[in-house]
Amino acid sequence: MKIALCSSFAPFIHGGSRNIVEWLQVKLQEAGHQVERIYLPQVDVPDLLFVQMMAYRWVDLASSADRIICFRPPAHMIPHPQKIVWFIHHIRVFYDLWDSSYRGFPDDAKHRSVRDALHAADTAALNEARHIFTNSQVVSNRLMHYNKVGSEVLYPPIYHPDQFLCRSFNDEIVYISRIEHHKRQHLLIEALRHTRTAVKLRLCGIGASETYVNDLKSLIVAAKLGSRIIFENRWISEAEKVQTLSDCLAAAYLPLDEDSYGYPSLEASHSSKPILTTTDAGGVLELVQDGINGLVTEPDPRALAEAMDRFYLNRAMTQQMGQNASARLRELNISWSHVLERLLS
Amino acid sequence: MKVLVVNNMAPFIWGGAEELAVHLQKHLIIAGHDAELLRIPFQWEPATRIPSQMLMVKAFELWNVDRVIALKFPAYLIRHPHKTLWLLHQYRQAYDLFDAGQTNLPEDQAGQAIQQLIKQADGETFRESRRIFTNSEVTRQRLAHYNGFDAEVLLPPLNDPEQFSGATSEGYIFAGGRINEMKRQYLLLEALALAPRNVRLVIAGPPDAPEDASRLRKLAESLGVADRVKLDLRFLARSELAEYVNRATSCAYLPYNEDSLGYVAMEAAAAAKPVITTCDSGGVLGLVLHRQTGWVVSPEPQALAEALAQASTNTTFVRELGVAARERWLRMGITWPNTIARLML
Amino acid sequence: MKILFFTPVVATSAIGRMAELVVRQLVIQGHDITVVRSEDFSCFDSPVHLFEVKVLRWNELDRILSLASTTDAVVYQVGNSYQYHRGCLEWLPKLPGVVCLHDYFLGHLFWGWADQVGRTNAYAVLSAWYGMDVARSYFSASSSQHFIESTSQTAPMTEWVASMAIGVVVHSGWDIQRVLNACPGPVDVVPLAYNVCVATTADVRHVVPNCKEFSQGRINILTIGHVNWNKRVESIVHAVGTSDVLRNKVVYQLVGRIEPDVRMQLVALAESLNVDLLISGEVDSVTLAQAIQQADVMCCLRLPALESASASTIEAMLFGKPTIVMDTGFYRDLPEDCVCKVSPEREFEDLQKTLERLIQNPTERSVLGKRAKQYAETTFSASQYASCLVDLSRRAARGTPVIQATHFFANTLVRWGALGDQLPLCHTLAPLQLFETM
Repeated sequence: MKIALCSSFAPFIHGGSRNIVEWLQVKLQEAGHQVERIYLPQVDVPDLLFVQMMAYRWVDLASSADRIICFRPPAHMIPHPQKIVWFIHHIRVFYDLWDSSYRGFPDDAKHRSVRDALHAADTAALNEARHIFTNSQVVSNRLMHYNKVGSEVLYPPIYHPDQFLCRSFNDEIVYISRIEHHKRQHLLIEALRHTRTAVKLRLCGIGASETYVNDLKSLIVAAKLGSRIIFENRWISEAEKVQTLSDCLAAAYLPLDEDSYGYPSLEASHSSKPILTTTDAGGVLELVQDGINGLVTEPDPRALAEAMDRFYLNRAMTQQMGQNASARLRELNISWSHVLERLLS
Repeated sequence: MKVLVVNNMAPFIWGGAEELAVHLQKHLIIAGHDAELLRIPFQWEPATRIPSQMLMVKAFELWNVDRVIALKFPAYLIRHPHKTLWLLHQYRQAYDLFDAGQTNLPEDQAGQAIQQLIKQADGETFRESRRIFTNSEVTRQRLAHYNGFDAEVLLPPLNDPEQFSGATSEGYIFAGGRINEMKRQYLLLEALALAPRNVRLVIAGPPDAPEDASRLRKLAESLGVADRVKLDLRFLARSELAEYVNRATSCAYLPYNEDSLGYVAMEAAAAAKPVITTCDSGGVLGLVLHRQTGWVVSPEPQALAEALAQASTNTTFVRELGVAARERWLRMGITWPNTIARLML
Repeated sequence: MKILFFTPVVATSAIGRMAELVVRQLVIQGHDITVVRSEDFSCFDSPVHLFEVKVLRWNELDRILSLASTTDAVVYQVGNSYQYHRGCLEWLPKLPGVVCLHDYFLGHLFWGWADQVGRTNAYAVLSAWYGMDVARSYFSASSSQHFIESTSQTAPMTEWVASMAIGVVVHSGWDIQRVLNACPGPVDVVPLAYNVCVATTADVRHVVPNCKEFSQGRINILTIGHVNWNKRVESIVHAVGTSDVLRNKVVYQLVGRIEPDVRMQLVALAESLNVDLLISGEVDSVTLAQAIQQADVMCCLRLPALESASASTIEAMLFGKPTIVMDTGFYRDLPEDCVCKVSPEREFEDLQKTLERLIQNPTERSVLGKRAKQYAETTFSASQYASCLVDLSRRAARGTPVIQATHFFANTLVRWGALGDQLPLCHTLAPLQLFETM
């Protein structure tokens, strides 16, 4: 088939959704399809939304592509008789983040009219699609709530799952992710202070905010935990990630209310390691089930500390949970073959 | 600087312009810039779609971009305060092809209205661009004639000059490039029939259509030269092509009235091979001077046969012509670093 | 809502009077209103209707722009007078809003605007809506009457204003098609808001001294408003003058602005037919109300009917006066048992017959008047108008983002020289139909 993968982008900014599109392209090509990747510009400014949405309406792929798959909005505005949408997120400041500090414009009549018109336009465009998929139940719920549109959850796999392996279980709980306030590495550092065992922590990654990174460093120093925390504040290569996960005790991933489970959870699962997360982590809970493939605690340092000690003390449980984590992937059908089968049906 | 290269996209089709855009991006990065490529799907059939495609491009918002380098209509309509054009193509069906009656614009008022729209939009774009370059003299002349704007010719460099290192000289004449009537490979076969029996010819390249290949083969048979010519008529990998060029004694390139210099001639010159061409070949005459950097003869089999005879012997004279061709080409400075420097002025 | 309300405010503007009523109701309903007066400079020193809210002038650019950035809605009262509505035209293109359209025929408004912006711009508008032929002959009318006659059917300029609005309120369903065709947003029919001027409850029989006094026993027939040819004054004088029943029983009074040559003509006509004609000229609203109160029959004939609704007719009905109207346009909507309708095809006979009947039938006059008043009070309610206006503004606002986006593209096409309908736009418009289904 000739398949066009359509998404919006901001030049020189590499968002998460680029991975999904680019990895999917490779997998589709490996399966013998011809794939064209179409990235068109988009800025989320209220006054400019509709002009840009109209531009996307004029993208004409009907005679060149057998099927199109649309990702980041307003790509779903592109018309096509075989339109598939893999919906990653709305322009959230006009939806669930309307009543939040993220909305950078006033809640006045003009902006409300843009919001209402956007909801209606999104709904109309989504209803043109043959199938709508989302990357998590959280997003599916939002689609139903705001646009009254049904969707199927299709979990995005990581690119090279096969490279991950399980080798041993050391004393480290690792958190490999962007270093950002809403990823809450600070909570884990706090938690370590309350642990009673010799469990250790390894934080890996880089962040955009120097302030937060410095805050974490100060926190480590102030807590006198220097010997038990390793802070690798640099870009981590895939190979390093594989190694670190293969030997760790467990992986932590506790972002605040994130839409999807996140690649770190997936990577840990492929490495057959359990995941430590919190009740308010959002989409992570679609993957992690408390007591089965990980531990889900209150977002509180002491509760987290208890969980960390449990991983340390009860190695049999930890290993079993790790195996369950791997099985959970099959249970949820998180694989490229499943993705292709669904997208191409 | 953050540079966005903006080009058209004909979905699932990849040609010379696409290669150029990718190499432009690559060399911008080598020169120290951030560079990304925006490819905008363009559907011009039927012609009544064209207004919507123009409006679509006009609607795009580009933020976080310092410079735009745009290559074709309608991609170059995109809005940006610092836009440089490297004109590969206007919509010729509104201009010279319109005059020649080879257009998809209907003959009625509607067609005229579309043509007018294109002209006005083009004029606006040319006015608002900081600089205009064209990829050939002919494109420059067309721009001046139809739109009244001046431009500077900036010839597209070879993408991989390092592959054409020359080295050996195995006694054959190599004729590369696409196989079609305009490229006149048939003339070479006719000349071969009149040339001394020791002259060897290699013709290699992708035929535009299967008939172009079969016609050539039949001609070789009927002229009785099939044993002296190798017809390798297919798309060649760069390394295969480079092999043919590097090991030849001379090259031949004699299209009818072509506007640009042609990659074939540049590849030959890079490899220090003299070039056989004809006096009506067009742009290539900027590089090939008779008995200085090659042979310029009349487009007749007898004249060509004499050139072929000379060109296939590995004499000092022939080698010196090749060296001179290379020097001339180097002096023309058609390199990527020079190109980037001009574009980014 | 915060609303910017563009309207004439001069005392002589019936629209201004209506606007004051509506604004008052909007305030009662809890909205924050700023009025922007839309008359030309020459009117700025004239007496005005009194508004309880802040009133700005349309040329106070900075203040209006600053208000506009925080306003929720903009409303424009538009009628067929450039002098009264210039400010609306100055701001409509820049500040999107809802238009309350008081007249379908906007030829005089357009002509005034054309004088201001130049014929080239005017021709561009004319040819865009009505074609080159109409454009070429538009300004060549020999008289006002000729102008109205020749353009009210072919080029009433309704579309020109309607297309600039994000929504339109019209006051009757008559000839709404042009508005529907041109306005990109919602169009609602809302009965015109009106009420009776408070000062007239006093039982004062007071006539503006001009010529004759009324004699007892005479029936007072009144026509109010600017004495235009389309108000059929001549027909009425004829009808009275050629009827033995009417001629000696009737005083026909005209209250409203009248040009000297028209006055001369009418006086001459009345004298030749022995009709008792009382021309009072332009008066203030209190005097006007008193004149209506004193009238026995109101003649509110219009042919052609140019207004979207007739303030003077509504006024007559609110006063409980038996009213004669032409059976056309807005007047068609009025119930048969509340007004007397005259057929345009049999204007003279119907008019004479109706006048004769009414003059001889005081009971019928009284009954008609009472029914008219009851109908008018419930229908032409200002509070109803105000809430309908707010509702329309909200709906129009939802459509505004799409409308503004289309303007971007329309302007681009115009900049690229696309004029008229020669450029094929099927493939451009079809994918945008999605936005219409919203």
